[in-house]
Amino acid sequence: MDTTISDIVSAKTMLPVKTQPTCRQLCLFLSEYAAWLLGCGATCIRLEKNVNRIAEAFDKHVDMCIMPRHIHLTVSSHDRHISFTAISSIRCKAISFDINTRLSRLSWEIADEKIDFTQVQHRFEVITKTPPANKWLVLFLASAANASFCRLFGGDLLAMGIVFVATLAGFYLKQILTENKVDVRIVFIICAFVSSVLGATDGLFGLGTTPGVAIGTSVLYLVPGIPFLNSFSDMLDRHYVCAFSRFMDAMILTACLSIGLCGGMFMMNVDMF
Amino acid sequence: MYMFSQFFQDALFAAIAAIGFAAISNPPKRAYLYCAIIAAIGHSTRFLLMSTPAFHLHIVLATTIASFIIGILAVLFSPLAKTPAETCLFPSLLPMIPGMYAYRAFGGLAMCIYNGGENDFSHYFYLFANNGLTCLFILLGMTIGATIPIFIFKKISFQATR
Repeated sequence: MDTTISDIVSAKTMLPVKTQPTCRQLCLFLSEYAAWLLGCGATCIRLEKNVNRIAEAFDKHVDMCIMPRHIHLTVSSHDRHISFTAISSIRCKAISFDINTRLSRLSWEIADEKIDFTQVQHRFEVITKTPPANKWLVLFLASAANASFCRLFGGDLLAMGIVFVATLAGFYLKQILTENKVDVRIVFIICAFVSSVLGATDGLFGLGTTPGVAIGTSVLYLVPGIPFLNSFSDMLDRHYVCAFSRFMDAMILTACLSIGLCGGMFMMNVDMF
Repeated sequence: MYMFSQFFQDALFAAIAAIGFAAISNPPKRAYLYCAIIAAIGHSTRFLLMSTPAFHLHIVLATTIASFIIGILAVLFSPLAKTPAETCLFPSLLPMIPGMYAYRAFGGLAMCIYNGGENDFSHYFYLFANNGLTCLFILLGMTIGATIPIFIFKKISFQATR
């Protein structure tokens, strides 16, 4: 029977039975869960494993179709007599390994501790309200990272300093434009342009000995590394539609980055090759 | 001695790069340290494989081997960090993402159209194809290298947050 029964006592064990969700309740919850997990940058294999784990913990069967921007999910009772289907659009659009980690942990808490469904929903609500990392800290760390990158490519100390400033300005602009809901492709073009113009000052004023490295690495903070890795990971797992979509997203962002960089180099009269 | 200092410099700056690029993708705070350690070991391994005369490997092969090592470390560290393997793995791989090859490929493509002459076109098309293919094969090698340990140690990888 597929009905909600809370706080009843099992006749066999005399232990309280936890609230069991109906197919409808579980389906709606899982479609939200999957939409958040996909949106925060989880791979398809992680998504399938977590969703199946939760469904099995509640003694239900789940079939799922993962599309690049939607989740199509059917939950059915064990005997397949009752089923419910839902389609959800992806929720969180910024990559967050923190949310990914906490949602994965929630799936294990459900599987191991068999926590109550109402508790599960409450914990899920808390997780979805996870605030992003401090923007000033991220700004500083990303700038330091790009300056280190400049060093890895053989840049001198002056080039590192210029790349730090170019990244600081470009990344800050990215944060402001993203907050103002400007299209991500336009954001990438503008930020790459600003960073490359600032990166070109090394050569323009003859400050250091590695001006080429400074301008080349000044835009590397914009390279969409996680989408590239996710796309290849999905491809190896034979989720070709998601893999292709993620790859195209990453390629378009890289193309926008290149347009901004070429514009900056053209303006500063610097050759790419 | 010079090689030794280069090796440690590579490890140090790769660790800083991994922390900074990881911060953009919002990892849990406890994952930063593990990402830094794993990236330092992985990137310096690639440096050794590419720079020392004993190996002198091509960037694609060196990256694949380094990614395999990163993958093993990420799987082993993920239960300690109580995070999914990808949380330690992907940010640690970021310093090896072939970003420069990617935008140089697009730059080459733009120059193909911009320069009309046959010789110039051939030259820039070569640069486009060379950079683009190198970028693709590095990415493929990275993902294959880093994913193999996840499947070898499937039980650890998918139960790290348990």
